[in-house]
Amino acid sequence: MKGPPQSSFASLHDVELCSYAAAGERRAFGELVRRHGSAVRHLLRRMGAQPAEADDTAQDAFLAAFERIAEFRGEGTFAGWVKRIAARQYLRRLQRQKRLSAFAAEGGEDEVPAASGDADGRIDLDEGLKTLSPGERLCVSMCYGAGLSHGEAADALNLPLGTVKSHVKRGLEKLRARLAPADDAVLEGKRGNG
Amino acid sequence: MAEIDFERRLERLFGEAPEAPDAQAFAERVERRLNRGWTARRWLIGAAGLAGGVIGASQLLMSNLFHRMETAEQSARALGQGLSRVTPATDMVSALSGGYGLWLAVGLAVITLGFVVSRMIEEI
Repeated sequence: MKGPPQSSFASLHDVELCSYAAAGERRAFGELVRRHGSAVRHLLRRMGAQPAEADDTAQDAFLAAFERIAEFRGEGTFAGWVKRIAARQYLRRLQRQKRLSAFAAEGGEDEVPAASGDADGRIDLDEGLKTLSPGERLCVSMCYGAGLSHGEAADALNLPLGTVKSHVKRGLEKLRARLAPADDAVLEGKRGNG
Repeated sequence: MAEIDFERRLERLFGEAPEAPDAQAFAERVERRLNRGWTARRWLIGAAGLAGGVIGASQLLMSNLFHRMETAEQSARALGQGLSRVTPATDMVSALSGGYGLWLAVGLAVITLGFVVSRMIEEI
């Protein structure tokens, strides 16, 4: 299938680009990488990957996605699909380097730092994730960033479901303590204006 | 804030990733790797096609093809002689009925087999 010129790929929807990519049009896939590369790399960093490691894993994930593009049925978003691939690639990488067990081990009862009250939720999330243990960070990012269910995360991490659930629960508690005040401040502001 | 609201907010925050300053360079790196993989694959397909063609042609040659071709050649020659009485334009038929025709056929068989194998691998 001969695709449109490079410039017109930018105007196409992700699903259309996937159709072109499935027919072997690599420029269409390049446009998808341009659109979603940052999100995938950012998710990997949030999972705990170093910047260079996140970039390498994201590249591998996109190449794997291109190989399997025919499997993408457009039921969810393309970004979500690639993020799941990337998350699993990162776990495989950790397994190869024998770092996964250390990452996913039960974390201790860390002290929850006080909320910074940062107005920018995104920065707050990045800072908040740093306060989580590696296992909590991994589980929370996989479930809320990559969209995996607790069961899928447990399978991918090769951990008991209960361990993943407790990681997620503790991680959420810490993030909630850190992120909630910003929300309260917003609500206060709304009340004040109303 | 209810638990479900917080979870939704968390999903939204995870979805809000900033555009990386090197997003374009990253995409180009991925495209380069895609193209490199594709070139390597094409070479592999071509090599597989050529090997398949050579093996196919050698099988044809070893399956007593020469003898059969000689028989066919004699028939073609007889046909050519018959035709030459009918029309003078038989140069091509007689040329093809010689050894030259045999090697031409083998060459075509190699190219055709190579092409068929390449297409089959690409389709797979």
